[in-house]
This record gives sequence, C-alpha cells and structure tokens, in this order.
Amino acid sequence: MSAGEPVPDKPMPGGATGQPDSTAILSVRDLRVDFETDDGVVQAVRGVSWDVYEGEVLAIAGESGSGKSVSVLAAMGLLPPDARVSGSISHRGRELLGMPEKKLERLRGSAMSMVFQDPMTSLNPVMSVGDQIAEGVRVHQKLKRHQARERAAELLDLVGIADAARRVDAYPHEFSGGMRQRAMIAMAIANDPDVLIADEPTTALDVTIQAQILDVLERARQAVDSALILITHDLGVVARTAHRLFVMYAGRTAETGMIDDVFEHPVHPYTAGLLAAIPRLDTPRGRRLIPIEGSPPSMLAPPPGCAFQPRCGRASDLCTKYPPPPLTLVSPPAHLSACHHPLDPQQSTSPLQNPNGEDSDA
Amino acid sequence: MLAYATRKLLISIPVLFFATLVAFLLVATVDPIAEQRVFLLSQPGGAEQVARLEASLGLDKPLIERYGTWLGDLAQGDMGASTENGRAVTTLLGEAIPVTMRLVVAATVISVVFGVAVGVISAVRKYSVFDNVSTFFAFLFFAMPVFWLGAVLKDLGIRFNDWWGHRVFFTIGEQSPRLDADFWGTWADRAGHIILPALTLILIQLAATSRFQRSAMLDVLESDYVRTARAKGVPRRRVITRHALRNALLPVVSYTGLTFGTLIGGTVVTEVVFNWQGMGRLFLDSLLDGDVAVSQGWLLAVGVSVIAVNLLTDLVYGLLDPRVRHG
Repeated sequence: MSAGEPVPDKPMPGGATGQPDSTAILSVRDLRVDFETDDGVVQAVRGVSWDVYEGEVLAIAGESGSGKSVSVLAAMGLLPPDARVSGSISHRGRELLGMPEKKLERLRGSAMSMVFQDPMTSLNPVMSVGDQIAEGVRVHQKLKRHQARERAAELLDLVGIADAARRVDAYPHEFSGGMRQRAMIAMAIANDPDVLIADEPTTALDVTIQAQILDVLERARQAVDSALILITHDLGVVARTAHRLFVMYAGRTAETGMIDDVFEHPVHPYTAGLLAAIPRLDTPRGRRLIPIEGSPPSMLAPPPGCAFQPRCGRASDLCTKYPPPPLTLVSPPAHLSACHHPLDPQQSTSPLQNPNGEDSDA
Repeated sequence: MLAYATRKLLISIPVLFFATLVAFLLVATVDPIAEQRVFLLSQPGGAEQVARLEASLGLDKPLIERYGTWLGDLAQGDMGASTENGRAVTTLLGEAIPVTMRLVVAATVISVVFGVAVGVISAVRKYSVFDNVSTFFAFLFFAMPVFWLGAVLKDLGIRFNDWWGHRVFFTIGEQSPRLDADFWGTWADRAGHIILPALTLILIQLAATSRFQRSAMLDVLESDYVRTARAKGVPRRRVITRHALRNALLPVVSYTGLTFGTLIGGTVVTEVVFNWQGMGRLFLDSLLDGDVAVSQGWLLAVGVSVIAVNLLTDLVYGLLDPRVRHG
C-alpha cells in the first residue's frame, strides 16, 4: 500500500519541500553535510528538512551516525572546517549558511544555544563555573563583572544548584556530572534564547539522575520560553518530553509527526522497530524485546536504495533499487513518512500502546 | 594554593637530601688518585706515599663517614676546596653561576615565549605556509647536535663580522676582558657576547617547545569545552587565548621543567664551544683534573637548580590548573 497524498507546500511542520518557513524559529531545507576524509566522502546528512516552532519541543531521534547531531551542529555553525554543508538553515527567516562568522557569533549563545552530551568534558577545567556562565552573559549583554556574576548565581539557582551564591566560584571538577550538566543548561539559557538545542543531554549521565536533568531542562526552557530541539536515541526520553518527533536513519528522514501519532501508529518499519525494542514495566514476564537486527550502513558508501532495506522485513526489489520516496502525509496535521512499503496506520499498533498485542512489524 | 605550595616544598626536602647523596657518591666512588697509585706502587716505598696521599684526601675513612663529614661541612656553607688551586668551591661556583645563569635564563625565557607563540600560530593555522615552514625548521634544529650548531653559528658569526667590517658578534668568552665601560657599555658588550651561544640553545629548545605547544594546542582546539565556548558566541580570538591557550600551556609548563636538566647539559657544551668561563667550563676542568670537591659541588649545585626549577614549574602549574592545587 502507498499511504496518503503528497505534502502540501505550506505550513507543514516538518515539511519536506519548498521555501524556508518564516513562521518557524529554525527552518532547515534539504540540508546535506559531507565530510572529506582520507577514506572518501562521508555523507553524514543527505537532504533533511525540518522546522521548529515557538515554544515546542522537537525530538530528533536516531541511532549513532544517523546525522542527528551533525544537523544541529550545522545550524549552530559548529561543524569542523572540513565539513561541506549545502541546503538552507534559516533562523526567523535569516539564512545561517554562509553567514559571516562575526554575525553568527552574535546569534550563538543568545538566539540559539546548545547543551552538549558529555558534561564531564564540556566545561573548561581551568575556569570557575561562574566565570564560564558570566562569560556567556557578557559576550552578549552589556553588564558589569559583578552583575554578570550575580546573573550566573541566579541561573545556577534556577537549575537547582544548592547554595548557588557560593558555588559560582567552584571549578568544574568540584561538581558531579549531573551538577555540571545543570551548569551547562544554566549557560545555555543565560541570554534568553528562542531555541535551545540539547544534544543527548542525559546519555553520559548516571541513569538515576537522567530524569532530574530532563526536568531541569524543561524548567529552564519554560523559564526562558524557548523552543527545544532534543536530540536523543532514547525513545523513552522522547515520550516524556517532546511534542513532536523526527526520526532519522542514515542521514535521511524516516518518519515525523506528533508524538501520539507516531507512537500509536508508526508507519515506517524503522520507527516501528525502534518502538518494539523499548523495554516496558508492564510487559509480561518472559516476553523478549525485539531488536532490530544488523547495524546501520557505512555513510562512506550508503546503499543506492533505501538505507534501511538490509534490516527491513518489508523490503522488496524497489527498496534495493530506488531511494525512499519523499516524505508523504500519513495523517494530518503532521504525520509524514518516507518509505516504499509503509505500514498501514490503521492497523499498525505500537507495542508501546499495546504490549500484549501483536508485533507491529509482523 | 598555599597548602599546595607547602606540600610541594616539603616534597622537595627528601629529593634535595637524595641529590646530596647522589652528588657525593657519583664522585666519591671513583678513585681520584688511580693513576698515581699505579705509578707510586711500582716505586720502592710507594705504599707509604699512597697511604699518606689517601690520608690527606680523607680516602682512608669509610665512605659513609666521608659523606657525613661532607654533609656536615655543607650545612655550614663549606663545600671544600679545589685540589688544583686551593680555592673554595663556593667561591668558584659563585663566580661561575651568574655567568651561566645569564645564558640559561635568556635561552629559557626566549625559547618558551617564542616556542609558545610559534606553536599556537601553527596549530590555529594548521597546514598553512607558516605551519609548514616552522615545522621544517623545528625538525631541522631539533635534529642538530648542540656542539655542531654552536660551531656553525660561531663560524657564521665570524664571517658576518668580516663582511660587515666591524665586530658585531663576539665568539669568545662571556665579556671582553679588561672592559672599561659605563653601565650601558657593559650591557652592550655582554649582549654582543651572549647572542650566539644563547641562539644555539634557543634554536634547539624553541624547536622542541614549539612542536610540543602545537600538538597540545591542536588537542585542546578539538576539545568539547572549546566547542562550548564557541557555542556561547565567544569571539574566536578570545576562545583561543582564554580557553584554548590556557589549557594548552599546562603540558608545555611541565615539559619546560622536565627538560631543564637537558638544557644544562646543552649549556655545558655551548660554553665550551664559545669559551665561556661559566659552569660548563668549571665542570669540564674539574673532571679533567680529578678535582673531587669541585665536581661534587658542581653536581649538587646543578641538582639543586633542577629541583628549584621543577618546584617553580609545579607552582606555575598550580596557578594555571585548579584541579592540581585543590587535589
């Protein structure tokens, strides 16, 4: 079966085609990122388009190497110089690709800011935490030293660091991993950004504090009323945090939509597979999780057809020969997928919703 | 910081004590009258003469007792006297140390400052013309033995003087003998003398330091916290100086402390090439003369200076890195 109708040009959250959406905060169109390496060209991102709107939480999910981090680093202008970026990334209608570094510096840390994966290495070990937050404030705002310091203490207090006024002078090595990630979040919201990007913010942390950090992130986001792009490979995190989900596989979009739509009726076999692989507390004893067999393709030489085809139970000749079709509407308002043989949304039921039911992929 | 400095200072004490033991034993375990002994014992009545000689040098006493006596005298500021000219070792060291200090301090300061600058620029502009040229010269000078580079520079200096028709570079001694000049004249004369030997040491030190700084800087530029600083919108220049350089200096500080001993070795050679009357010449003469007290005193003085420099680098490291001073 082939689902749905072609994507309308406007205004389609996560829309695949057309001009950048100027009502979005960040609008990405046909983004491609290649890295020149000694072994050849690595095609990290192969034409993705998405938008993030005021105040929403957009999750970008996918395995390692699916291009999710690279996409947002491209938006921040933080890719290494050997990256070749094409397509369009615009912030409130202003094109970011090709923007002079000086102008981009003014946006980074103020309009858009970022929390990174590993808080143990993301803070400068020889600068006090307060100085590092205050520096971010003073780069963008005309504040005196002591004012920036007070602001740093306020921010630390906001992200739940006890005794913040004293802790401003502490160095990163005096903080635990969770505290460091709180400090990173404080730094990221220091200049009231309108979009906050969190790149696997809980992956490097102890499981017991992952939930706390997600709560802090949400509290921080609400305090500055920004949008949040949450990059993760953990669909459990997505479920509790995000409004909208964007699933990437091998540098392309697999499926996107509102959380409920995608979780209840995944149509892309990859998404369905991911959902089937999530452990649940209410799963009957003895029932095994269903892994997705195999591993993602090398992005040095991605297969000519669908990149997921070697791992897919529904693959046909079509999939080996032709790349997946453009994103196609599954159901309004925003559920789209790119697959030659999508599951029927009416029949596909996520194992998340129906742990005792049939496997969605079967 | 005070606790850290105190701890480092206290650790230096046993090291210092150990240095006295090594300085003493390195020399004391060698027989200073080996040649005379062979000659005298072949003569009639030679055995008594050997015994008298041994007694006069204190060689008849056990090693541990000799060490005790030497250490006791040392504690009172007496390092013995030269067996060659009878002058006190402290006096000889007092004359030689300032001469060598000029060379060592000039070479260290200049090579560190330029080495850091060259390394940082090379790292920031990786594979640029500047980087490639500085890499070429770094390996060129690093591969040169000190004595050879010194001799080449000396030769070039003489040729330059001939061509210029006026003596710009002095190639012998640390200053002109019987110089009668005012304060500035004295300094100008010393500068003319120090340029070539200092350059010898600088080129070799600079080569190593700049390579070290370059790789440290490259590591740090790739680090997550540099990316964090950029993500905050910190301007590039400030990212490099405030975030990257400060961290990349740490390994170079350690390296400078560790290679200080090598630098002293290089200085000994350079002083001999350029006929300086400094520590290098003093050591060489004491070895050639079998001058026990001077050799021991020299080793101890150099040992103390190495300990002092490492203490200094530890303190600088502590100032730069909070993890170390809190740890």
